[in-house]
Amino acid sequence: MSVAVREPGAVIESEPIRSRRGIVWETIRRRPSAAIGSAILLVIVLGALLAPWLAPYDLHKQVGPVFGHPSWSHPLGLDDGGIDMVTLLMWGARVSLVVGFAATFVSMVIGGTIGVAAGYFGGKTDTTLMRITDYFLVIPDVPLMIVVAAIWGPSLFHIIIVIGILLWTSTARVIRAQVKSVRERVYVKRARSLGASHTRIVFRHVLPQVAPLLIANTVLTIAVAIFDETALAFLGLGDPSRISLGKMIENAFQRAAISTGAWWAIVPPGLLVAVIILSCSLVGGALEDALNPRLRVAHLSARSFRLRPLVGRGREAV
Amino acid sequence: MSLLEIQDLHVWFDLEHGGELHAVQGVSLSVDPGERLGLVGESGCGKTTTALAAMGLLPPNASAAGRIMLDGEDILAGGEETIRPHRWVDLAIVFQGAMNALNPVRTVGSQIVEAIELHGRAKGPAARTQTGELLESVGIPAKRAERFPHELSGGMRQRAAIAMALSCNPKVLIADEPTTALDVMVQAQILELLDALCRDFGLALILVTHDLPVVAQLCDLGAVMYAGEIVERATVDALYHSPGHPYTRLLFAATPDLGSNGEVVSIPGAPPRLDLELRGCPFQPRCDRAFGPCTTIHPGLKTIGAGHAAACHLNDLPAIAAP
Amino acid sequence: MRGADYVIKRVAFALLTVFIAVTINFALFRLAPGTAVTNLARVPHATPETRLALKREFGLDKSKLDQYFIYLKQLSRGNLGISFENSQPVRDNLKTALINTIPMVLLGTLFAIVIGTITGVLAAWRRGTAAEGASVTTALAFYSMPTHWLGLMLVILFAGTLPTGGMTNDFLINPSFWQHFKDLVAHITLPALTLGLVLFGEYTLIVRSAMLETLSEDYILTARAKGLRPAAILRMHALRNAMLPIATLIALSLGYIVAGAILVETVFSWPGIGRAVYDAVLARDYPMLQGAFLVLTVSVVFFNLVADLLYFKLDPRITE
Repeated sequence: MSVAVREPGAVIESEPIRSRRGIVWETIRRRPSAAIGSAILLVIVLGALLAPWLAPYDLHKQVGPVFGHPSWSHPLGLDDGGIDMVTLLMWGARVSLVVGFAATFVSMVIGGTIGVAAGYFGGKTDTTLMRITDYFLVIPDVPLMIVVAAIWGPSLFHIIIVIGILLWTSTARVIRAQVKSVRERVYVKRARSLGASHTRIVFRHVLPQVAPLLIANTVLTIAVAIFDETALAFLGLGDPSRISLGKMIENAFQRAAISTGAWWAIVPPGLLVAVIILSCSLVGGALEDALNPRLRVAHLSARSFRLRPLVGRGREAV
Repeated sequence: MSLLEIQDLHVWFDLEHGGELHAVQGVSLSVDPGERLGLVGESGCGKTTTALAAMGLLPPNASAAGRIMLDGEDILAGGEETIRPHRWVDLAIVFQGAMNALNPVRTVGSQIVEAIELHGRAKGPAARTQTGELLESVGIPAKRAERFPHELSGGMRQRAAIAMALSCNPKVLIADEPTTALDVMVQAQILELLDALCRDFGLALILVTHDLPVVAQLCDLGAVMYAGEIVERATVDALYHSPGHPYTRLLFAATPDLGSNGEVVSIPGAPPRLDLELRGCPFQPRCDRAFGPCTTIHPGLKTIGAGHAAACHLNDLPAIAAP
Repeated sequence: MRGADYVIKRVAFALLTVFIAVTINFALFRLAPGTAVTNLARVPHATPETRLALKREFGLDKSKLDQYFIYLKQLSRGNLGISFENSQPVRDNLKTALINTIPMVLLGTLFAIVIGTITGVLAAWRRGTAAEGASVTTALAFYSMPTHWLGLMLVILFAGTLPTGGMTNDFLINPSFWQHFKDLVAHITLPALTLGLVLFGEYTLIVRSAMLETLSEDYILTARAKGLRPAAILRMHALRNAMLPIATLIALSLGYIVAGAILVETVFSWPGIGRAVYDAVLARDYPMLQGAFLVLTVSVVFFNLVADLLYFKLDPRITE
């Protein structure tokens, strides 16, 4: 028979950690990587949103020669149609961001629902849903997107759906794991025993706890979605009626921007995409780190502990 | 001159957002060959950090001050470089059983052989033979050397860890919570094993634990730590029957008889934060006998009897029996 | 053999997934709207006899369910149809394409693994220093760059020095083996480098993460306590254990390199399987598209299986 030994001063956790809601904001404030990433994203999103008012030139009007050089009035030069690059970037970012957000929304809804269902109900539901997820995971996304886009025909709507349908798997897995752990918490069990309905529990108890992780995952998914859009556009499967960042790269590629030396037609759009993806990765990564704190000390590192001079406060008895 | 003498050891840990945690505050200990010292206290009091510091096993965000005298030589003076040669051959450590202390993807035997070969005790087949003998001496069939750690039970893993610790004939064995996380039957076996081995090899033992019955069973001397300091040092007997510090008294009084079934009465309150400088006695907020000077003057460790020292103002009051 | 049933289970799962992929492949192409797709026999420039033969082979006049079974039967025989573009069997086209892709992808991946491991270990080892910050930032930067854009950047940078298109120099007449080899190496450099740089970013982050995780494990403290030197601990304990997640993650990513290959091959006009997909899309060459998609899916399933078995072999803890 064993004796229960409790550490003097031990505290048992019984309250839900409501403060998790503030974690997103806290992380952004405290971690430099998240702060920088968010700031950059904010600037880009604002720039894209306000494109109709902020863009210096008209999107469809030719203001100079094809692949005009950068100049004071056109800091990033002109594209293959003689249109100002800065204007194009702003409008292009608009479309790319819309695709990224919308596709992510689709995948979040699908992945979130499946993840919550699998994690909350467990058992047969869980195994079936996870099997389906596993199969989806194995299908290579870019080829499938290409094939579906090729068959379905290029349009913004199709692109969004296609990307969304393939990105939900990681969300589902992450959410499922989190829901499983939340389900075991004391207050959830209490709510169940008090007769609360499943819907009520999910919306009042489970979702708030899961929300921060969902946000982290969403931000990371946006990065992938935007990458996928540029890939599809580059392969000629983008919406031909709208100009996106991916389409700009494709245009430049098709119209031999490189051989004419018009690097300004290629570098800025791709750079903007890279910056967006990088910022999303920084924010999403920092959030994930904050939510799964690995308070682990490296037992080995290039640096070793430091020595300080003797303190000698003379506490020793004579 | 003692075998191992820790003098005025301080350890600080850098905190993530600036500031430091003063985890060990001026600890002094010593052990002679064959002596067994129990280092007790609640979790977070700094006993494990002290034990690790004795072997220089501090993480990169730590800084230390003080002296660690091994046979009269200060091995801490040069940091990692001067301490490393003494690891395992002079000072060895056994960790808590629940830890992943053995590499899960290597066989138990290979990890013991690694220690033997590293310190030049033997090579190749001879090392393997020695490993087998070591395992047998702790009660594990030599064949189990080819097994992976997860294939052994918790108790066997701990025995293997002990065998590994003794593989280079150290002079001091440090055991950090060696029986916590093992079930009671196995605990008793491990303790018996430690007892026998220390006797047979004349080892000095520093036993770090929060589990007082273990100390009572195995150790002659005890040091009680609180908030990074040693608050009392005496024979285990004296700690039990004539404690010189309220914390010791409460701690040992709270220990249940092994025959009873009750829950431990824990001391209300919590230990103080170590990232702030403290005034007065660290135990004062939880002490049931605090008075005047306790809030403002820090009690130093003072001798109150033969081989008995305690840090409490109550001991300065004349004609008051036990605090 | 240890865990024979684990191996069997994983192989069975892989086969099942391939089967499902095959079915999805069929559904996508045959059930999609428009006869352009469903009519595999509509090979331009084909003789009526060929068209008829194809119709019969794939049972294009029968019900969808019958078509499905015929599709499976043809598949088992290795018959993937005839390409619309060059009227050659899809299988032959794919074979050539695959042979072209593999060395390029292999080179790029090797580069990424070697540089990524070195950088990742460096970043983990020098935690909290400028070296770590620099490594992580560089890795993140390359990881964030769209593959095709990076390729174009390299083209801009190296346009004069290295060939930026195709696999060989068509103007080399009757080259000696050595000339031919040098030519190939020159051509393979930029596409492999592009792929390598994008992957290196990802691998650095993987390796660093795995190493950090490993370095905080208790047995590292034990190794240090035993008196081992840092280099020995890194080699005998840290790397050895970190190899587990690293190897499996890399094996997994190999399956997805196909996506990167498509983009790289398009930029550099490399006649590999990625380019084959691109060309097939442009020309609406559905048999090729269907065949290429199948190959790509099977490769992902294959590498997932490799990752599973690798993990199983490396980690003695898995017995089930």
